[in-house]
Amino acid sequence: MTLAHIHLLLNHWPIIGAFVGLFLFLVALFANSDDLKQTSLAFFTLIALLAIPTYFSGDVANEVLKLSTPLPKELVGAHQGAALLSLIFMEITGAVAFLGLWQFSRMSRPAPHPVARWNSAIVLLLSIVTVVLMTITGNTGGAIRHPEIFSGENAASAVGAIGSKIVPAVSHFVTGSSRWVWPILETLHFLGLILIVAAIGALNLRLLGFVKDLPVAPLHRLLPWGIAGLVINIITGILFFIGMPFFYAWNPLFHLKMASVVVAGSILVLFHCSSAFRSWAKLGPGEDPPAFAKFIAASSLFLWLVIIVLGRYLPLTQESLQ
Amino acid sequence: MFLSIFKAIEETGLSIWIRESDSVFSFWCILSVHAIGMGILVGASVLIGLRILGLAPDLPLAPLKRFYRFIWVGFWIQVGSGIFLLIGYPTKALTNPLFYLKLTLIGLAMVSMQMLRNRVFADSSLSEAAMMAKGRIFAVCSLAFWVAAVTAGRLLAYTYTVLTA
Repeated sequence: MTLAHIHLLLNHWPIIGAFVGLFLFLVALFANSDDLKQTSLAFFTLIALLAIPTYFSGDVANEVLKLSTPLPKELVGAHQGAALLSLIFMEITGAVAFLGLWQFSRMSRPAPHPVARWNSAIVLLLSIVTVVLMTITGNTGGAIRHPEIFSGENAASAVGAIGSKIVPAVSHFVTGSSRWVWPILETLHFLGLILIVAAIGALNLRLLGFVKDLPVAPLHRLLPWGIAGLVINIITGILFFIGMPFFYAWNPLFHLKMASVVVAGSILVLFHCSSAFRSWAKLGPGEDPPAFAKFIAASSLFLWLVIIVLGRYLPLTQESLQ
Repeated sequence: MFLSIFKAIEETGLSIWIRESDSVFSFWCILSVHAIGMGILVGASVLIGLRILGLAPDLPLAPLKRFYRFIWVGFWIQVGSGIFLLIGYPTKALTNPLFYLKLTLIGLAMVSMQMLRNRVFADSSLSEAAMMAKGRIFAVCSLAFWVAAVTAGRLLAYTYTVLTA
């Protein structure tokens, strides 16, 4: 198994996931089921997290394949372009779904809330666009490995053509346009880190029993600031990768960091931002959560610290690779 | 004259170890500790600052004083790891004016946080509304100084003129 297999392992999930998420969400809307709505919002967010390493693993797959087979450049470009557009829309869908999910976790009654309804309309719209883009990404990707299916037909679509112009343009913006773009993105990445540590860290520390005289629910209300930090860091992180893919694509610590982000993000989605949190949110000053809540809080804290450390160590393994 | 002092520091075994050792505990480890310390120090300050500015109004204010412990733990982690980084690259940091700006901003941010503590959190007769009104200016200042300090710190990696003497 080579690193190229990671792309094969991951790349079907966001496509099928976007379809399944949209299907679940439509059923939830027609059946007016809040539980199913939450499930699909969580599902969208998880797929958005998984789409990040899927996109990143594409660069390695391309380089490995190039060694054995001559790859038509337009096909790869179209696939990469469509993939970037899919990634952008998947991430926006995930972020909006994330906020909708958080609404559910704080509502005392699961009655339809005006904000939640507004949220549903946006998620529906975005997820439909994402599904279309994902389909194109799948088709253009398939054309690279399975030319027999597309005999004589050019699978590169208008979307791929637009997207393939965006990738070099973004890359130029990040590394070529001004020497200050990269440092400013780094600064934003650090400020995002601080928001994550402040909001997610404080909530987890309280669950673990520090600052016990604080009630849990109001700390939970600060979570959107942590989510905002995560969104900032995902956006700046994607820009870093597009700017210098060669620095990250083969770096084992980067792979580990991305895996940790997916797991830590999933914990945040499934335990802190779903109705699973509601019973823990009832804890008043001085009250202790169940052991399982402490285990989740400790895992989350540990993973975010690991992510910071892995991020700082990235240049080390880059040097040893050369 | 200063350069010869920096050079002497750079020639010590500790400085060489921090810069050049292949050990996982040298440069990148110290940088990791410095990043985590930043998260704790600034994160706790941001939490207190945002609450003073009116976020999560149902979060009781007085117990937030506990987070000052995290601020000081974070602060001393930063001082410790910062000194090690300085020993590794004295010329790189001390010949960059931005480094002195960063230290000044950190000092101003810490002073803002301490004034918030002494004027607002230490006075138990204040109502929450009075605490927020009185603390607003310190919260705004500390948030602004922290953002500026983090920015200055990050830019140090891109603005130095001399790496080693």
